[in-house]
Amino acid sequence: MRARLLTGTAAGALALGLVASFAALPASAATGGSAKLSVLHGVPDLTVDVWVNGERTLDDFTPGTLAGPLDLPAGTYTVAITAADAADASSPAIGPVDLTLAGGGNYTAVAHLDAEGEPTATLFTNDTKATAAGQGRLTVRHVAAAPAVDVLAGGNAVVKNLTNPNEQTLDLPAGTVSATVVAAGTTEPAVLGPADVPVTEGALTVVYAWGSLEAGNLAVATQSVTGLHSDPAGVQAGQVGLAADSSPVLPVALTMLVAAGLTGLAVAGRQVAQRATARR
Amino acid sequence: MPGDRPAPAGRQPGAPAARRRARPLRAAALVAPATALMALLALSACGPAPADPPPPTSSPTATAAPTTPPPGPTVPDVPVVDAGLGSLPVPAPAPVRIVVPDLGLDMPIDAVGVADDGSMEIPQDAGRAGWYRYGPAPATPEGATVVAAHVDSWTTGIGPFSRLRDVSPGARVEVTTSDGVVHVYAVRDVAQVPKSDAPVEQWFDRTGAPRIVLVTCGGAFDREVGHYADNVAVTADPVTDAAGG
Repeated sequence: MRARLLTGTAAGALALGLVASFAALPASAATGGSAKLSVLHGVPDLTVDVWVNGERTLDDFTPGTLAGPLDLPAGTYTVAITAADAADASSPAIGPVDLTLAGGGNYTAVAHLDAEGEPTATLFTNDTKATAAGQGRLTVRHVAAAPAVDVLAGGNAVVKNLTNPNEQTLDLPAGTVSATVVAAGTTEPAVLGPADVPVTEGALTVVYAWGSLEAGNLAVATQSVTGLHSDPAGVQAGQVGLAADSSPVLPVALTMLVAAGLTGLAVAGRQVAQRATARR
Repeated sequence: MPGDRPAPAGRQPGAPAARRRARPLRAAALVAPATALMALLALSACGPAPADPPPPTSSPTATAAPTTPPPGPTVPDVPVVDAGLGSLPVPAPAPVRIVVPDLGLDMPIDAVGVADDGSMEIPQDAGRAGWYRYGPAPATPEGATVVAAHVDSWTTGIGPFSRLRDVSPGARVEVTTSDGVVHVYAVRDVAQVPKSDAPVEQWFDRTGAPRIVLVTCGGAFDREVGHYADNVAVTADPVTDAAGG
């Protein structure tokens, strides 16, 4: 889910940037709820200013940083990216482009290099559907000047043949994934990583590969969108009935004794087996 | 926060538009987080700095007198953070022990998750409590810390949480976290509800004022399914007093 905003016309040292807020919204912008917009700066070596609807909104925005999220009324925003400290947005290095944000949407606009190394920008839609209890969501986005890649986790390719400027998303049990980025179809050498990526329960973790392979400045950026969690189905916190309000105690106690006996037999059996194993 | 220039807070929203201070494009590839934070978003064209010559790399058209935009409405500062791996928030310390003096209850707490059936995982030993590790912890600024324990279990019989139903409002609950801090709560509410009506979304709420919710089972026991009919839930609010907080 992403829309190509534009390809960079990239002028010299001028470069990219991003989007962000919104002074002086057009009246037409305020329709139907609000959207969330974050902006990631993924173009190496360039500090920029970002103009939204003609207003300087991000000043001296530096590579590897993330701005937002901003709550914006749904609508269309005109974004231009200039060199840092430009007088105005009349000579953008990128744009102007129109970003259309739908009410209830969660977006990240990324200023980055395309596969050939030219500055560009891409608007991604973050998947904020609810996650199952105990699970987290991982989205991997390729916004680097590099060919197609696979992402390996535990020796397996969990993301395959990902190209700039695309993404892949998967839901995983919460935990930490040791991830390595390699050229598509290979297992080594690593072009990035290995890196420990947290898969946070109830959150979307977005991992970006940005920079340039040729320039040797590939890097990882992350973004977290929380609040996607679901609750456990319930709490089943009793097994026997010994603490029941109105339960015949005797049968329960007998059941308990039987259970304890079985457990004891099982333990004894295991010990016997272990001893037998140890003797071998 | 150390910085290499004044924070943008001094900006005057009504000031006339001015060129921002000149600064060559930074070529540094790596930016320290502090610098990133300082690189906050400025609003519109209301910069505090006097007019300076344009940066050497600006485009030729910058010499044309730009139309001075009218001051825009006040725009909230946009938070800017370092996006590097490792900059994600560190979770709050886990609770490791719970004491309810009025009930003679003193139990270790294990961090638990979700069972195969989708319910909260509970330690098999009724003498140990489980903390829902995906939700808030006592030091989390918002939401409910959930601690549950079996009222009884096959392996250990009746556990201390069987006494939860007898706790009185106002009773003290002490929860120690892994950093050694003792968080003190006072019981607000004790409820016994059929599981079919259990307000799970309230117990596991990750928003709102910090609080702790203790959950176990109660009511009649359904031998067919091996479950109790009810849940017993105790809600307690933080107390800041000399002994804790």
